[in-house]
Amino acid sequence: MTNSIPEIRDADLLFVIGSNTTEAHPIIAMEMKRAVRNGARLIVADPRKIWMADIAHSHLQLKPGTDVWLLNAMAHVIVTEGLTDDAFIEKHTEGFEAVRKGLSAYTPEGAETVTGVPAEAIRQAARDYANTPRAGIYYTLGITEHTHGTDNVYALANLVLMTGHLGVRSAGMNPLRGQNNVQGANDSGATPIFYPGYQRVGDPEVRLKFEAAWSVSLPPEPGLNLNVMMKAMARGEIRGMYVMGEDLVISEPNASQVEAGLNNLDFLVCQDIFLNETTRYADVILPAACFAEKDGVFTNSDRRVQRVRKAVEPPDEARADWEILCDVARTAGYPMPQYESASRIYDEMAALVPAYAGISHARLEENVAGLQWPCPEPGHPGTETLHLGGPLIGRAGFQVVEYRESDELPDDDFPLVLSTGRVLYHYNAATQTVREPGSMAKAGRNFIEMHRRDARRLMISDGQMVTVSSRRGEVQAEALISPRMRPGCVWMPMHFADSRANLLTNDAGDAVTGTGEYKVCAVSIRA
Amino acid sequence: MSDRFTITLDGRNCPATSGETVLDVAGREGVSIPTLCHDPRLDPAGACRTCLVEVAGERRMQPACAFRVRPGMEVTTGSERIARHRKVLYGLYLADHRLDGSGLPSENGSVNRLREQAARSGALVLPPVNAPRSGRPGDSNPYIRFDPDLCILCARCTRYCDEVEAVSAITLTERGAATTIGTIGDSGLLDTSCELCGGCIDTCPTGAMTEKKSYGIRHEEMEQVRSTCNFCGVGCQVDLKVHNGRVVKVASPPPGETVNDGNLCVKGRFAYDFIHHEERLRYPMIRGRDGELHRASWDEAIRKTTEGLLAVKEKHGADALGFVSSSRCTGEENYLMQKLSRAAFGTNNCHQCAAT
Ligand code: SF4
Ligand code: SF4
Ligand code: FES
Repeated sequence: MTNSIPEIRDADLLFVIGSNTTEAHPIIAMEMKRAVRNGARLIVADPRKIWMADIAHSHLQLKPGTDVWLLNAMAHVIVTEGLTDDAFIEKHTEGFEAVRKGLSAYTPEGAETVTGVPAEAIRQAARDYANTPRAGIYYTLGITEHTHGTDNVYALANLVLMTGHLGVRSAGMNPLRGQNNVQGANDSGATPIFYPGYQRVGDPEVRLKFEAAWSVSLPPEPGLNLNVMMKAMARGEIRGMYVMGEDLVISEPNASQVEAGLNNLDFLVCQDIFLNETTRYADVILPAACFAEKDGVFTNSDRRVQRVRKAVEPPDEARADWEILCDVARTAGYPMPQYESASRIYDEMAALVPAYAGISHARLEENVAGLQWPCPEPGHPGTETLHLGGPLIGRAGFQVVEYRESDELPDDDFPLVLSTGRVLYHYNAATQTVREPGSMAKAGRNFIEMHRRDARRLMISDGQMVTVSSRRGEVQAEALISPRMRPGCVWMPMHFADSRANLLTNDAGDAVTGTGEYKVCAVSIRA
Repeated sequence: MSDRFTITLDGRNCPATSGETVLDVAGREGVSIPTLCHDPRLDPAGACRTCLVEVAGERRMQPACAFRVRPGMEVTTGSERIARHRKVLYGLYLADHRLDGSGLPSENGSVNRLREQAARSGALVLPPVNAPRSGRPGDSNPYIRFDPDLCILCARCTRYCDEVEAVSAITLTERGAATTIGTIGDSGLLDTSCELCGGCIDTCPTGAMTEKKSYGIRHEEMEQVRSTCNFCGVGCQVDLKVHNGRVVKVASPPPGETVNDGNLCVKGRFAYDFIHHEERLRYPMIRGRDGELHRASWDEAIRKTTEGLLAVKEKHGADALGFVSSSRCTGEENYLMQKLSRAAFGTNNCHQCAAT
């Protein structure tokens, strides 16, 4: 997030797109509800009539996968009606001309045909967004889980830049992170192209710095992202895997291919707190401590580094992941230091990343609300809002974005569009929440949500068990007839091991991030 | 724009800003005023009358939590009149409250702030009223319990449910002495719009709304460890309550201190059973020739892990290895995982399962 969670309540306009905030980020949703109570305008863009759409001033119920068209049409309106912030564009950005030219084809009327959203609603949303100084954009997986996820993000960034909604309190561009420490995992360099702190693997100077710090020579080529790794595994190119705290079979798209790949591996080690679908293929299982049993930090969506503290002992012989990783490294012959505590590990990382240099466990004891990076030195208070007074480095670049269709569109055999997502009462692979009575009482079984019109055509009644099929697999689920859906579109949660949505989903990945297209694939349903 | 001016608080000049309440200023100045129905997250209700103060020029005492400051205003927070008012007020509350052997408000495990306040200020002893206030004993929801005989009808719970969670699952029902906290049609919470956020428990000053899972464990007997919730990316701060080496409850820190402003969702507040679940992995395991998993020592398991990975590297090169890290683990652990992948095994094939 460029801005911070506590700033949300002071916003004058919230543009929420591809985020079912009340279910995926309930506490951020509370802040949004508060802003709306205080008079903020709320625009929701989502194919489903989600809870937030009920209190929204405008709900743009677009067809799944047509976000680029919608956003470009909004940009088109802003440009043609002269609502751009020219001073900001001039001073802080580059590449606007090319974008402006490219937008001429994206008329609101054209958008209406492709997205299904009335042209007038698009015009109004664009005007409101551009004319409100404290207007923030909030998005999540509904934007990124597409083969054109990066394009979606660029299209949003273009809107932010052309209206100058950056470096302003309660405005900005705010991806809401899905998992507790996704931000932190990326920040720490658990990505194939970056060392910790987004320092490029491909940059020789950076490599030299890490080689010196770790006293070892390092591979110069960037690695494979997870989506590509899964495919390389299926082809037999990846032959050994170390999986810590993830259930790939549930969380990766095209699950049967993932399983075939796991089955092919020469060696698989899983480190986790419970057995799961992936551990069925493991050669070795290492029992780990859960968050309440260890020390460390999580970094949340607004770049806030906060402490995790050990409250209880892990069960029997289970150990903290960091201790296990150190042992494996040493046994493999690499002299990993004998860290006395997690805080020493943090210090080692902070010394290698200027943006975290001012953060330490000791400072987090005093700062109860956490410290937001960039925090370059020990006296620094952290950074609540990014880009105050202009982009951090140089100028922000506009990107020309063209609409591309989703990888798999409905046809005669698979006539419905399936999107997948999360419900309030479960968390991801649900290994934790299926063990929770309240979650199971509220949401105990898988379901497929559909519009009455589709149900009637298929002769399906509410609560009936149906079979959902795609080119990759099929699952059974209970039909949920609901006015929240668009006709032709169906929706399924991804949490349930006994009825896995990811047997259906398409593993075609975004060209840049490799994120799978969880939000659009073609399915058929039969009673 | 808001104006700045001074007011007099117990004879002291204090800076204030228009729009603030007397309680806001007093809080900043370290002057303590007892409150029951006040919660900074909610619109002032001025309902419980515990916070009454004297304001020069006002004939009646005024609720500090709702009364807005004016330039030059003179406020007295402690006087004979206020003390008398509180004794009567607490007496009235106690007459309609479950009391323990000492004649003070009972505790069901949670803190009862009425008990602390009545003990401090004293309370008139009045004959008990037999309020026919009903609960929902049949409510099968697994988390939230309502003890009607500890309720003071401050409506913090219903206002929270309305104003913060915005689902209005609970509401004041019945009339007069029978007024209680109910649901439409008296349904169990699972059959209402309730999202099990537990905010009603968090805000309740007496423990009338309380948690079923930890019911009866006394608050003084729980140790408290501040940590970060392990579910979504909001990073809510949580207070893990530990009793006999087990996490028995999760509470939210006070409003205003942390990013979640005292709030939590159903997962953060209640989904902690997994911590001590019997299915947790307890020992390292190695798959044997028979295809089954067998318990192993840590030494064996680590050795087997290293051998397995190094064998692949030797035969197919380092890039035939993949390391999957986790957004569920700490920043330090993610750092070590990528260091393991890069420095110990020589590949950049290291990623975690998450796009956002
Ligand atoms: S748990 Fe939350 S939603 Fe349910 S009644 Fe209490 S405040 Fe309302
Ligand atoms: S249950 Fe608690 S919060 Fe609700 S009205 Fe009664 S005392 Fe107040
Ligand atoms: S706290 Fe002021 S009236 Fe209740």
